[in-house]
Amino acid sequence: MYRRWLWPGVAIPGIVWLILLFVVPFYAVLGVALGTVDPILFQPVPIWNPLEWNVGWLNEVFSRLAPGGIWFDVGVRTIVYVLVSLGLCLLIGYPVAYYTARHAGRWKGVILILIILPLWISYMMRMLAWVNLLQSDGYINRFLVYTHVLSQPRDWLGGSASTVILALVYGYIPYLILPLFASLDRIDRSHLEAARDLGASPWSAFRTVTLPLSKTGILGGAVLITLPMFGDYYTPNIVSGAPSTSLIGNQIDLYFHGGPQPTIGAALTIVLAAFLTVLMLYYMWSIHRAQRDVGAVGAL
Amino acid sequence: MTHHPKERGNLSRRDFLMRAAGAGVALSGAPGLLAACGNTTSVPQATGTGGELLGPGGLPLARPDKRVTLPRWEDPIESGLEPETGGTFTVYNYPAYFYKKLLKEFGEKYGVEVQYTPFDNINSGLQRLASGAVTPDVMEITPDTLDIGVAGKLIKPLNLDYIPNLQKNIWPQLVDPFYDGESRYTVPYTCYATGIAWRTDKIKEDIAGMQQPWDIFWESQAYKGKVALLSENRETIGMALLRKGITDINTEDPALVNQAVADLKELYDVCNIKVDDLQYQTIPEGSSWLHQAWSGDMIAGYIYYLPKGTPATALGYWKAPHGQVPVQNDCFAICSTTKKPVLSHLFLNYLLDNGVAYENFVDFNGYQPPLNEIDPGSLVKDGVVPPHLENSVLTNDDLGTDSLQYGTLTSQGQQLWEDGYSNFLAGGGS
Repeated sequence: MYRRWLWPGVAIPGIVWLILLFVVPFYAVLGVALGTVDPILFQPVPIWNPLEWNVGWLNEVFSRLAPGGIWFDVGVRTIVYVLVSLGLCLLIGYPVAYYTARHAGRWKGVILILIILPLWISYMMRMLAWVNLLQSDGYINRFLVYTHVLSQPRDWLGGSASTVILALVYGYIPYLILPLFASLDRIDRSHLEAARDLGASPWSAFRTVTLPLSKTGILGGAVLITLPMFGDYYTPNIVSGAPSTSLIGNQIDLYFHGGPQPTIGAALTIVLAAFLTVLMLYYMWSIHRAQRDVGAVGAL
Repeated sequence: MTHHPKERGNLSRRDFLMRAAGAGVALSGAPGLLAACGNTTSVPQATGTGGELLGPGGLPLARPDKRVTLPRWEDPIESGLEPETGGTFTVYNYPAYFYKKLLKEFGEKYGVEVQYTPFDNINSGLQRLASGAVTPDVMEITPDTLDIGVAGKLIKPLNLDYIPNLQKNIWPQLVDPFYDGESRYTVPYTCYATGIAWRTDKIKEDIAGMQQPWDIFWESQAYKGKVALLSENRETIGMALLRKGITDINTEDPALVNQAVADLKELYDVCNIKVDDLQYQTIPEGSSWLHQAWSGDMIAGYIYYLPKGTPATALGYWKAPHGQVPVQNDCFAICSTTKKPVLSHLFLNYLLDNGVAYENFVDFNGYQPPLNEIDPGSLVKDGVVPPHLENSVLTNDDLGTDSLQYGTLTSQGQQLWEDGYSNFLAGGGS
């Protein structure tokens, strides 16, 4: 009896934690999104009973996000920015993680500290530092002009999509590299040696052994950075400020910042969460598949 | 490859996609299925007995030519009470909008520790106050949000016996203002107009000489990336209305508001328009060349942000003539959460003191207090404001009954303006 309840009991603190810090707040947002608004203070009045929920705000959000709606473009823009940023993060982050895991030797610890180091400074402060660096007469432009990469200073902060995407990449890439590194570091080198012994070229061994075995790290890192990117609003605010580069998070921010319709912000949060849940389900399915494949490789 | 029977329960990619699609369809249909639930997207709208539209809480909508005296929801404190001492005294305001040295001096004078709690904007500040998340003693408030403060019983009625500086030092227009007759709840803090700030060394056009200076934003192709508007729904949409000659900046006509938003959206292609409230810094520093701006920004920018070596003449400011320029004033009120009502009254009197108000203006925030002793000529003479920026200083007459002021809107009016701004901020073509 004691043993039967021992291990499930260990999970109780985690379950309580999850209920307190995820389930309850999520239900609160749901209650707000499907609730009403105080006519005087414009504060949300949550409705806790599902039978009394008001779906008007949710319908309104759906209609705005639909093609032809006022948020369709910003929704598409958010998806594009996040996907491009994710692609760039992988392109830059994978080689870094690979080198650190496989070739850094005694420098591995130093490199990991250097990757983590920026996280010791708040995200906002790092972005504000970039605003200074990216000024027309800032160090980035000076360097690029000095090295003849640019003939004249570029207006990085003039509201360009590339700046927002690069800022997202800069801000989130450490969160991709770390799980990727952990995944690559765990790969048993004997698998690679076996592949080489069987005649695989280095590229072929990477493609058929390393890459599939690091899939869990890629997906884990991808999830870790795409979820906050989808809700990000301060990055475009700081490095751009142009409506043409705003993200869906800016709309949530707008409606939660006072005004008579905080419920719109909550409803949009729910819709975004539902969208991200679909991505998460895909992630969980992929992880499951990848782990099974890893098991199959291990059994060879 | 075959799987162990226990693995047969795993989803194939096709299964996953099909189920995900099914979930998507179910999700998109969810609102329909929940149609039996409530389906409303409007905040209740108050109307008067005569059918006239009312503001939040059923209070009348004040306009410069329609004075409103707000009902007192409780009696003010009695006269002649001694101020409370000890503990903390909390000032609730925009970040960095009150000189901390002066707050400290007030605290030392009355034996309290003054704490400064910032909010992002008045609306969110009022919501936090209503939720009990903050318990300040005094707060900044604006005339267009005053209804919420009073109807929500978030601010207390004043006893003006404790605030003699109001009568003594402040412009007559604001001693008994149209939005708060008899100054029952507020005292004025700063005043400002909305106009255009620009860098004279970067912008070639003679903005002040243009037939419609607001047009400069629609003719700013050459300054792409350096042009910005204030990030306020009233100011952006209001500016687009004024550009078309519509001076009812409190309109709730959807056609007018939607047209103004459509006009604003033209600015994406014209100049990749930006929105922010950093004009007091970005114009003097030169990172922005053309910006919708409050008059106080020019004074603050000149005093604090103009880099060494950049002449004051690099700053340009235009505001429309009297009667066509939006003017506003910020106020201070006593929060109903105060445990120090007498001291709160004395604080309001303190901020209207000639010396305190002037020092706060000149040595810190750059936003002009409506003091009788301040006039544009004397500020120029004293070197506080350069001669070419004299137009950024307001006078009592600027706030008269024929002035343009953003007033409280009805609940539905506020929804209309907020959604319009959301549409503009989304940066899309729809």
